[in-house]
Amino acid sequence: MIRFILSDLRRLWAGSLVVVLLVALATALGVCVVLQERALRLGSARAADKFDLVIGAGGSETQLVLSSVFLQPSPLPLMPGEVLGKLAADPRVDWAAPIGFGDSFSGYPIIGTTTTLTQNLSGGLAEGKIFAREGEAVIGAAVKLSLGGEIKPMHGSLEEGGETHTELVYHIAGRLRPTGTAWDRAILVPIQAVWHIHGMEAEEHEEDSGHEHEAASGTDSVEHGHEHEKAGADHDGHGHHGKADPDAALDETLTAGAPGLPAILVKPKTIADAYKLRQEYRSGNTVAVFPGEVLTNLYATLGDAKQILVAVASGAQALVAASLVLVTVIHIGQRRRQIGALRAFGAPRGAIFGIVWLEFFFLVAVGIALGFALGYVAALILSGMFSQTSGVAMPVVFTREDVGLAAVLLAFAAILAALPAVLAYRQSPAQALRA
Amino acid sequence: MLSLDIENLTVAFPGLSSPALAIGRLSIDAGSRVAITGASGSGKSTFVNIVAGLERTRQGRIRWNGEDIASFSESRRDRFRAANIGLVMQEFHLFHGLSALENVLLPARLAGAATVDVIERGHALLGTVGLSRPGQKIETMSRGEMQRVAIGRALLRKPGVIIADEPTASLDAESGEAVGDLLLDLAIAEGSTLIVVSHDQRLAGRLDRRITFGSGRISEDSAAAAGEAA
Repeated sequence: MIRFILSDLRRLWAGSLVVVLLVALATALGVCVVLQERALRLGSARAADKFDLVIGAGGSETQLVLSSVFLQPSPLPLMPGEVLGKLAADPRVDWAAPIGFGDSFSGYPIIGTTTTLTQNLSGGLAEGKIFAREGEAVIGAAVKLSLGGEIKPMHGSLEEGGETHTELVYHIAGRLRPTGTAWDRAILVPIQAVWHIHGMEAEEHEEDSGHEHEAASGTDSVEHGHEHEKAGADHDGHGHHGKADPDAALDETLTAGAPGLPAILVKPKTIADAYKLRQEYRSGNTVAVFPGEVLTNLYATLGDAKQILVAVASGAQALVAASLVLVTVIHIGQRRRQIGALRAFGAPRGAIFGIVWLEFFFLVAVGIALGFALGYVAALILSGMFSQTSGVAMPVVFTREDVGLAAVLLAFAAILAALPAVLAYRQSPAQALRA
Repeated sequence: MLSLDIENLTVAFPGLSSPALAIGRLSIDAGSRVAITGASGSGKSTFVNIVAGLERTRQGRIRWNGEDIASFSESRRDRFRAANIGLVMQEFHLFHGLSALENVLLPARLAGAATVDVIERGHALLGTVGLSRPGQKIETMSRGEMQRVAIGRALLRKPGVIIADEPTASLDAESGEAVGDLLLDLAIAEGSTLIVVSHDQRLAGRLDRRITFGSGRISEDSAAAAGEAA
């Protein structure tokens, strides 16, 4: 029987191919939607995983998460710099680090922060060392720049037509390990440098530690006189910008007098501390969020979008199913003679039912298997493209639910395959032979 | 070896005023070789379909060795035909993509009747009908060779009756004669009853009895004529 089916399929290869492709494409569409949606959910959840508590100035919680976790550029309101100092001193806080946005370099966002965050983000560096001076930068794993390279920060992004800062050129000192988050595409620089470039020096801070800067500039100007001069010249041209010295030592004491900040990442010591801190910083001028929670709300909205996509995919599958029914009915019409002959020469009806059913089911099953493979590959490609632009790793994985989907599709195929089998059963062999 | 007894058979098709086939009484002895002739539309094909159980009838009795196949269910008729009737058709109804031997064995295999003995018989039958390459693909054979394969298939399960519907009509004269010889020889060798529907006067002339159909009725029967003459 198997040989007969195989030779039959060989004979009708063109039609069989069309059926397989039709089923494969419809299945792939559905599978891809499901996988992609899951990848998006898993990827963003994992990306947010490292961010326990984010504190920002009052405003949109979602925007705060999108900006801090996914590094989506957007102007965030600033909160007073003293919040950072308060948090750093809080005994419930393991560590707290500022996140300053705004600049970019060839499409990579430049994030001003401290060595603490840089160290904790990926659990160490893949190569090089962490920034130790204002003019040094650490790049994320996915940034296509090499160690020692120069980074000329641009205000805003290239699309927005931002102007290049000429006050400071960063040198790449190290590279982070991959984290699978948007931060893989980030260029981390000392927040102090960002402040200096943007002329956001806190008065107190300057008064308190001004001598350190002077001392540092004094020594460094000998070694890197050229850069220093350049920085100095630009400083004159842009009066509104602050002084930036690439060789200035870092001051991360996080005093209460730090300039305004868009976001602070907080690592609380315990879960209880996390809830207490969130409660505390929710009032007044600041907003405190668990990124995971904000994302959950976002998914609730995304869930509806997924429903629509799934509905569209199901619609496509229903269309394919309908066209398959049509194909089979026509197919059976064409095979009446063959079926009639089989019966006339003594094949039992059960065997004919089996042949027609198996043949059709085989085609649809192959199509479904192929569709799963195609959907998987498509999801991989889409995820890869998305990861490339966002830096967020999008894991494409099958789960137990997908077995259910495959089972449902196969069950449907089994019923569909029975249709021509039943049709084949319903005619007398003499009628079939006359056809 | 099967004998056939038909009683009060009427086959009518919707839309036709006169029945396609109406036989009051017809007996064919076991082991006899009968030619059925008649013009197109005279009811020959309907006769083959009815006696082979390919078409069912509600009126009349068709008894093979006393078993009335008119009363059988569809599947029982299929089983009966598979076990007792060897069919040879004008359009061979062989399956492309399969070899000669696979074609001979296919119905038996599908019915789960392909024992070692049956397979061996399949090989032997191909030799008997004069085909030396059982593995040859059917689509590469000449029409005469194809009809020999079909004869091999018909005889595989040692049917009590061989029914051939225009077995030579789509062959050239030479192949036709060879196929006619084979049918006659094998029917005698196997001890099967042979019913051949044919336009071919030479083939019909070589059989023991000739029944001629006209407008769905038996217009002439050489056995009856002989009986009257006697």
